[in-house]
This record gives sequence, structure tokens and C-alpha cells, in this order.
Amino acid sequence: MNENPMLPYLGKLVEVRDLAAEIKLFRVEMLNGGGEAFRTFQPGQFAFVSAFGLGEAPFGIANASGRGPTVDFAVARLGSVTTGLHELGEGDIVGVRGPLGNWFPMKKFKGKNLIVLGGGIGGAPLRPVIQHVLDHRSDFETLTILWAARHPSLLVFTDEYDEWRAAPDTALHLTVDNPDEQWDHNVGLITQLLEKISPSTDNTVTITCGPPIMIHFVTKMLQEKMGFAPKNNYVTLEARMHCGMGKCGRCNLGEKLVCVDGPVFNMEEVGGLLETFL
Amino acid sequence: MSKSTAPKKRWLISQAELEAWLDGIANARTLIAPRQESGIILYRPVAKSGEIAWHGQTSRSAHGGRPVLSVKEIFFPPTERLFTIQKTGQEIRLKETFPDWETVVFGVRPCDARGVKLLDALFLDTNPVDSFYARRRGNTTLIGLACKELGPTCFCTSVGGAPDDAQDVDIMLYETDGGYLAEAVTEKGRFLIPGGEWKETTASPQQSTYSGQFPVPEKGKWPEHFNDEYWAKMSERCLSCRACAFVCPTCRCFAVRDELVKPGEFERIRCWDSCAGENYRLVAGGHRPRAEKGERLRNRFFCKFFYYPEQYGLGAASACTGCGRCIEVCPVGVDITEVLMHLEKPA
Repeated sequence: MNENPMLPYLGKLVEVRDLAAEIKLFRVEMLNGGGEAFRTFQPGQFAFVSAFGLGEAPFGIANASGRGPTVDFAVARLGSVTTGLHELGEGDIVGVRGPLGNWFPMKKFKGKNLIVLGGGIGGAPLRPVIQHVLDHRSDFETLTILWAARHPSLLVFTDEYDEWRAAPDTALHLTVDNPDEQWDHNVGLITQLLEKISPSTDNTVTITCGPPIMIHFVTKMLQEKMGFAPKNNYVTLEARMHCGMGKCGRCNLGEKLVCVDGPVFNMEEVGGLLETFL
Repeated sequence: MSKSTAPKKRWLISQAELEAWLDGIANARTLIAPRQESGIILYRPVAKSGEIAWHGQTSRSAHGGRPVLSVKEIFFPPTERLFTIQKTGQEIRLKETFPDWETVVFGVRPCDARGVKLLDALFLDTNPVDSFYARRRGNTTLIGLACKELGPTCFCTSVGGAPDDAQDVDIMLYETDGGYLAEAVTEKGRFLIPGGEWKETTASPQQSTYSGQFPVPEKGKWPEHFNDEYWAKMSERCLSCRACAFVCPTCRCFAVRDELVKPGEFERIRCWDSCAGENYRLVAGGHRPRAEKGERLRNRFFCKFFYYPEQYGLGAASACTGCGRCIEVCPVGVDITEVLMHLEKPA
């Protein structure tokens, strides 16, 4: 690591493409020391991406390390940094600081059924989980993906659904709140889809990311209606962060810091916190 | 109290000797001391001892000699450049500069020295080490000045401190009749003391007789107060102005952003921020946790007495030094001592 841990590595954008409405995928080739720093990372980890001159913001890393050596980020255009990133194109230089935070315990998930629930751009930090499972398919039992968005135009990674569906023992269920005319999948909230599928708790863990309100109701349903133990419901939480290293103080949930104690928690840990993530 | 095996060396010096010593220090390195600036006293570089705000050094009233901002700003400045960004077309170059000057700070009160020690737990003792803070801390010697009396808002004795607590400075000065008793607390401090020039003494400083003023809830008792209605009530008058955090010796939240220096050149800076601010937790997409003032002030008090001690291994100690500055500056009279006394009241 640099003497100054706030100094980012430089990375070159080797691919920039639209992922959904106002959401772009940035594929970064790390330069200089960054290649070594990002040689391996774990599903669920995050990094800060700089739009130099505007600032930096944290993003979940959107690809599995094994799909590297490039690093993917899915960025929704919402604030000044993300708007600045959206103005960049292939060949432009960004800063990347990381990898940071903890990760989904994929080793512990071996031999289990996995249910992945992603809402909107919350699907981005779950894509490395999906890729990791597909790349080590025999290590895991069934993979069930529930993928939701407010509108079909906001679904992310649509061009990869065929790859996901084609994998053995893998199912993909799509739902949107507001369909358009071409939509021929489920309509409604992800909780309605979850209720319809009504998964068994047997040897099963769930992994959820999305808006806080979605995480709240999904995990509530998993526990109250389906009988999951909170410790088998994994989530990755979002919080405003400015350092990612436990210094800036912004991301605390009670006595825990999302940046270093998370962003991945199981709901038993979340339930033990003084503060809610809502 | 620090338990040094060797007996502490002490000297008796006059005001003139102290001033001559400080003049010598100011000639050789940067001397920072309480100095009048725009009508208030702040820790600022002084070229000679004559620039030091001596007046009121013994009285810690709001307008006495204690700087309005704590010594925190010397190690963790309100705004700090992390690196410079040069943009030429598609090319980006990052340039780093680190603080590298040797500094002596004179007139550090025990509460402020304690504040630095508490920040060490975060910036030095928890990985990764903060390179800016570490360099400043390593290059700085603290000359403490014991307080003869407590000021109107002081409560250091309630949070484990004392007006003559020497454990977090390198040299401690105690006022005596007609001069000072100087004590070398650390090796670094001993190094700064002029060898044969000062008169050594076996005298001990007069111990402060101030004792605890009120009981402070133990760390373990805080969680049970998390859902008290009290937080919403006590925060009604809060203006979210964040002055309390600005003057606090241990508030350390910061924001990071890029600022334009000139076309093609930017600085990435970090600047002080506070959890009492309205948009502190706002995330893109509009989700805003801790939207209520009560939740935000509760976070500030919990940070001092529960979160920070938990996160950075302070044991039973709190992250409040009892300096009382937040009470002095609050425009609407939010008083941390009232909060502590309220929590200690039987339900």
C-alpha cells in the first residue's frame, strides 16, 4: 500500500457501456501498483473510484476476481462524482482505491443452496457472487437469482442473463414494479416474487442487496414467513463513506463501521446493532 | 498516571527563563503557542515568546488564555491537502506532499493533550496509519501547562482527567509563586530542556485538589438509553450548526473532496465534518439515515462515550476530555454535562 492510504491507484477505462438507464459499466485496467493491489479481491468488497477534479465515491466491485485482471464498476448517475464518471470514455484515467471491506464468505457457502436477491443497481455487488458460483459451479448446490428493478429499463446486466440461465442448477427470476409492453416476466415487488417462489430453508443461505427498504422487507419475509435463521441471511449495506478505512467516522451503524466491519453482514449481526440501517 | 521507573527530573525556572527558553526554541524550529488572532486566542506559530497570549493563562474562563480551538488542529488541520491532481488532456499526474517540519507546542492544557492521545488511538494505533497525522505527531513536542483552577465549563475531573494531569505531554509546567516547576515527562521532552542552565529541584508539584464533579454513565450503560425519548426532546433547540464538533478536541469526522486550484490542477482535500450536520449521511438516491436531530445528537454523545471507545479500544475510558468547549460555543445552550447527569438520574 502507498504510504498515504488515501492516494488512489490510476486505472485506465478499457470499456464503458450502458448497463441500464443512467447506469454505466466501467471496466478498469489497473496501472502501476494497482495491478498488484487488485490481483485478487473477494465478492462483496468495494473500492473508491475517482473522477479526478470532482472527487471519489465508493462502489461495490462488480466482477469476480477470476474474471479479471480488469475491475468492473456499475455506476448510476446520481451525484457530482457519478456524473463526472459518466462523462468519461474509453482511454480516460480514473483513480481506484481498494479493495476495501469484508466479503461474502464463499468458502462457508460451499455445498449450500444460494439465493441471490438483487434490487436495481444493488445487483452490482452481487454479480461477483454469481460469477464466482458459475466459475466454481460444482462447489455449490442450487443457485436461485431473484432480480428486480422498478422498470425494465433499470434492470442491470441483462446481456448476461442467458449465461446465468444456462448454468446447471441455476434459475433466474425477474420482476419489475412497472412493466412496459414487451415485459413477459413477473410484475411486482421482489417480496411478491419471493413469496411466490417460497424457498426452503434447507441447507440454504440468502444474499441480498438493494435499497435499504427492500433489504428490510426481504429479510423480514425470509425470517418471518419462510423461517430462515437470521444468520443465514447475508446482506451488503450501503452507507455514506469518505475514507473506507475506519477513519472518517461517517458510516457507523451504532458501534460498527460499515466500511471495515462490513459492508457484508448477516442479519444476526445487523440485529445486534444499536442503530438500524433504514 | 504514567509510571516511569526513573524519578522524574524537575527544575524551578522564572518567567524570564521560560521566555528565553521559548525564544530559543522559536529560533530553531516552529513554536506554536496560544496567540491573539482577530480577537480570539488560537494555537498559532509565534516568532518569539512576546507574541504569546499570557494573559489569563491561569484562568480558563471563556475569554481566558485557553485557545478557542483545541490543539487537535495542529495534528489534524481543519483542511488538509491529501495530494495534488494535474490533468493534461487524458493524462493524470498525482503529486504528494507531506508535512515535514519540527514543531514544539507550548501551553497545552491537560484536556487537550488527552484529546491528542485519544486521536492517536484512531490515526496511529488502528491500521492503516494516517500518514499526515503520524508525521505531524512524530515531529511535535508538547509542552503542557497545568491549570491552577477549573474554568466555568470545565469537567475534566468527571471524565478521568485532572487539571494537572501530565501523562499526555512531553514536558509539564506547573505554575509556582514567581515562576514554574518544569517536569520532563518523556525522553522527547527531556531532550528539549537546557542541560546545565536550569536549577534542578527535588520539589514536587502541588497536587490538584479538584475531584470528580458528577458521575458519568459507564460505557456499558449507554445502550439501554439508546431509545430514550430524551434525545428528541433535548435536541429540539439544536441548530445543527456543528460548532460543538468544530471546537471538540476529539471530534474527527472528515469529508473528502476535490477543489480546483487553477485550470488543470486540483487538490484532493479532507476537511472537518460532523455527524450533527443535516446531510452528513445522505447517500445518492436520496436515502438519508438519521434524518432527525435527536438521532444525530444522540450519535454524537454515543460516539464520545460508547462507539469510539468500542471501535478504537479505549477500554473503560471515554472519548470526551471534559474541556467544556462545546458548552461554551453552543448558541442554544446544549450542555453535555446536563446530558450526562440526566442519564445518571434514576429512571
